[in-house]
Amino acid sequence: MYKKASKNEEKQDRNLKILVYLMLMFFFFGVIVSRLFYLQVIQFEENFNRSENNRLRQVILRAERGFVFDRKGRILVRNRPSYQVVLQSMSLPKKKEERDSVFVRLLKIHDLEGKFLFDSLSLDTAFQRANWIRNRPIQILEDATSEEIALIEERSSDLPGVSVLIESRREYPYGTLLAHVLGYTGEISEDQLQEEAYKNYSQGDRIGQKGLEFEYDEEFRGIDGLKVIEVNAAGREVGVIEGMSKEPVAGMHLITTIDLEVQKIAEQAFPDSVKGAAVAIDPRTGEIIAMVSSPRMDPNIFSLRKRDRNKEWAKVALDSTRPLTNRAVAGAYPPASVFKLVTAGAGLEHELIRENTHFSKSCTGGFQFGARYQKCWSSHGNLNVLHALRISCDVFFYQAGLLIDMPRINEFGERFGLGSKPLGVDIPGERVGWLPDSVSFNERNHRTGWRWTRGLILNLAIGQGQLVTPLQQAVFIGSLATNQGVYRPHFMKEIQTVDAKLVKKYEPIKIREGHMKPETHELLLKAMDMVVNHPGGTGKRGAVPGVRVGAKTGSGEWKKGEKTHAWYASVAPLDNPEIAVAVIMEASGGGGAVAAPVAQKIMQKYFDEANKEKETQ
Amino acid sequence: MNIQRKLLDTKLKIDWLLIILTFLLMSCGIVLVYSATQNSSDVFYKTYWFRQIIYFIVGSFAAAIISLIKIDYFKRLAFPMYFLSLAGLVFILFSGGDLVKGATRWIDLGFFKIQPSEFAKLAYLIVYSHWLAKHPVSFFNLKSFAVPTILFLVPFALVLRQPDLSTALVFIAISLSCFYWVGLTTLDMFLLISPFLSVLLSISKFAYSQFFWGFLICLVTLTLFYRKLPKLVTSVFFLANVFAGYVSSMVWALLKPHQQKRVETFLDPMNDPLGDGYQVLQSMTAIGSGGTYGKGFGAGSQTNLSFLPEEHTDFIFSVLGEQFGFLGSLLILILFFLFLWRALSISKLYEEPFVNLMVVSVTSVFFFHIIVNIAMTLGLMPVTGLPLPFLSYGGSFAIASVVMVGFLLAMRYQGGNR
Repeated sequence: MYKKASKNEEKQDRNLKILVYLMLMFFFFGVIVSRLFYLQVIQFEENFNRSENNRLRQVILRAERGFVFDRKGRILVRNRPSYQVVLQSMSLPKKKEERDSVFVRLLKIHDLEGKFLFDSLSLDTAFQRANWIRNRPIQILEDATSEEIALIEERSSDLPGVSVLIESRREYPYGTLLAHVLGYTGEISEDQLQEEAYKNYSQGDRIGQKGLEFEYDEEFRGIDGLKVIEVNAAGREVGVIEGMSKEPVAGMHLITTIDLEVQKIAEQAFPDSVKGAAVAIDPRTGEIIAMVSSPRMDPNIFSLRKRDRNKEWAKVALDSTRPLTNRAVAGAYPPASVFKLVTAGAGLEHELIRENTHFSKSCTGGFQFGARYQKCWSSHGNLNVLHALRISCDVFFYQAGLLIDMPRINEFGERFGLGSKPLGVDIPGERVGWLPDSVSFNERNHRTGWRWTRGLILNLAIGQGQLVTPLQQAVFIGSLATNQGVYRPHFMKEIQTVDAKLVKKYEPIKIREGHMKPETHELLLKAMDMVVNHPGGTGKRGAVPGVRVGAKTGSGEWKKGEKTHAWYASVAPLDNPEIAVAVIMEASGGGGAVAAPVAQKIMQKYFDEANKEKETQ
Repeated sequence: MNIQRKLLDTKLKIDWLLIILTFLLMSCGIVLVYSATQNSSDVFYKTYWFRQIIYFIVGSFAAAIISLIKIDYFKRLAFPMYFLSLAGLVFILFSGGDLVKGATRWIDLGFFKIQPSEFAKLAYLIVYSHWLAKHPVSFFNLKSFAVPTILFLVPFALVLRQPDLSTALVFIAISLSCFYWVGLTTLDMFLLISPFLSVLLSISKFAYSQFFWGFLICLVTLTLFYRKLPKLVTSVFFLANVFAGYVSSMVWALLKPHQQKRVETFLDPMNDPLGDGYQVLQSMTAIGSGGTYGKGFGAGSQTNLSFLPEEHTDFIFSVLGEQFGFLGSLLILILFFLFLWRALSISKLYEEPFVNLMVVSVTSVFFFHIIVNIAMTLGLMPVTGLPLPFLSYGGSFAIASVVMVGFLLAMRYQGGNR
């Protein structure tokens, strides 16, 4: 047990403890003094040289950004080397006169055509900045040509403190091809730096700002490395400090679901003068095979020199046709007559109409509803549902719509991906559609005071008044044809490391039930087939020889006196659908006349490629 | 009249040597801060040496007054001060404080930024001395550890939460030295720190670390036999060592590579060229390039030290090493050693446990700061960010350091008066 120590013992104990404490102090001070002796006396020469003649410098080794490939491994985005001429302020001469002479020598450099490389104003600013920015290089010539580099290099002995750095810049070898999907990179903005999502980024980082570049930035960027180098008085590297380097880890590659060949054809088929979009997807998995948005832009402008970049950027950003918008996912259009498939489907599903249902009023070129006369585009007589779809008769669907009513119709549309729930495609900027009924219509228009009337059903039944995106339209027609569910549309097929090791593989995600009765399915397929393959079908121009294509045309009215928006949504082969295509061409005319040929070319190429593959196997 | 009487009475007890040492060290500190900041292009930096003088003057006045305070008042104020300091720590935790490098450590008063953790240290060492003086701890009476543990854990957790690991470690240093002084023997101390040694040995990459760990376990076992501690304590220590060794190596294996890397970087900054390692390398180069006699006052910093962002605070010793060389550094080390020795020797004079505990804990704070800081600049220890007493720039810390000298003077001055 603990005994109370006597006074004497206590004093002894205390003295012992003071002694132990002093010994500890001796030990630690001894270690420090010997370390000092080692550094300052034994290693003096080495350290002195290092501090005087040579300087240490941290160099950030930028990780190379990952590439983007198409589904067969063909490059869509890569990097190119870019040379920057910089001032290393630590190596610039200290004396003012010598500094000024470097300045003057730089100013005098000109190329063979007599064009000067530097202008005195910006060079002066750079030299000013060099006075207080000591630890990082200051750029004086961006993205220099090899000729310009040669001019600098041959004078390098006269230009202490001026050096050339290589960095890599993004290159989009096909220019405008797929530009809206690929996106572009840009320097991280002040606002982004404040955001939680960018807490691992620092100023000056180039990050994906749009499209896949944005969505998969984490994967693309890799991990920057670093080395500590010794430089001599002129600022040239003379050695690397061992053990202080961290190798950069290159970013990962993205294998997309895009088929470059199909994409090329789609881009060619879609005229640049027409605004609109085209989407091709595989309805079985949601893989996006091609996507076009027009008018186009060239993401390579973001890799240009700052001045050119700003100029080009201003051009596209201020363009009233909005070439930066990806209309395939961010454009919302009335679905037009393509929506008749929904109206018909809902009627069949609820057994309100059947294959042989004929309504009381036949089409005489219009339909009298109360005081209103709703026109049809021709007079078609009294049709059943199949022929009404084939010829896209409005009068049939006016009556069908009134019978079925919007809740049932909208529910059917939502089953197959339409409506205001996003599809979740893996690029930013996706807009959602809108399927109005009496409640949501009044809600949306409560400010203007427009109220729901039953007459609106007439418009909605033929697809005037709703909003869908081209992507939704493709997803819709595709899943309607498979009847196997709606799969999340996506671009990411695989993510691989630089040495082609698989990191992530995309597994299809079912996002809607996408199911209807087999009888309904059968009839809708039959109708879609007739649109293309029946002599009187509106979508004949979408036919592909040897493949059973199904489709629905649409001509959306949007402004009196203007040509209609041309819609064409098709899917093939009907008995086992592999590809669904939606094409919208703004203000271009009838869907069957204008949009169908575009979709036809895309499908044709797709099946050509598929056959080629089969033959080689 | 009364105060004057005391002054006259005890004049002989004024510790002039300690005061002179303090002023010498403070003067060196001002010179070094001056030379570290004069080459900066930032005008604000150039006023640092002057601000440092003001802090020292403020601190000296405070210390002079404190040295006159009766010891009874220290004891009476111990708990109120302790809770006040906790309030300060809680305040910055919730107010967000001023965020510097991802940690909240300051309360901004406009003209001055208070670092509550610096003053919490002072309050903590008083309250610890006060409590332990009356209630010594012993392994034979585990209940004796209850209150000290609670007193320790609250500020420790609050400071750790800021996060400020290095200051939190100072709290450990205070506690351990106080335990040592009242109740625990040298062997007990060894037992107390042995689990940490076990952890260190089991994760270190050193070739024979397993062997050394085995050796450590043997030593612990022998000590436990010799000490004949209660069964519970014995088994706890033994198991803690074995457990610490095994579990930490198992946990280590489970850690992700980047987490392992973080720990390794902390233990050996050279592992991290991006951050701390670079600074330490620069610091070592700067110190080494000073040679025996140094480059002279004001020289050298242009080329080398402008690499060091913290040269006027945590890395002030590299300025010393570069400009005044081995001899200059040695001189400062001798001053520090004399200072610590003189401070510690106060404990020889009196038997009053509170006085002794105060002296020992203040000395330990200084000792800990000096060793950890200098070892860091020499690349011997992790980069923690503990400043060097009297030399590093920093308002709260400068004032707190001089105030601690005031504590020492008060103890020496009045230690005999009961």
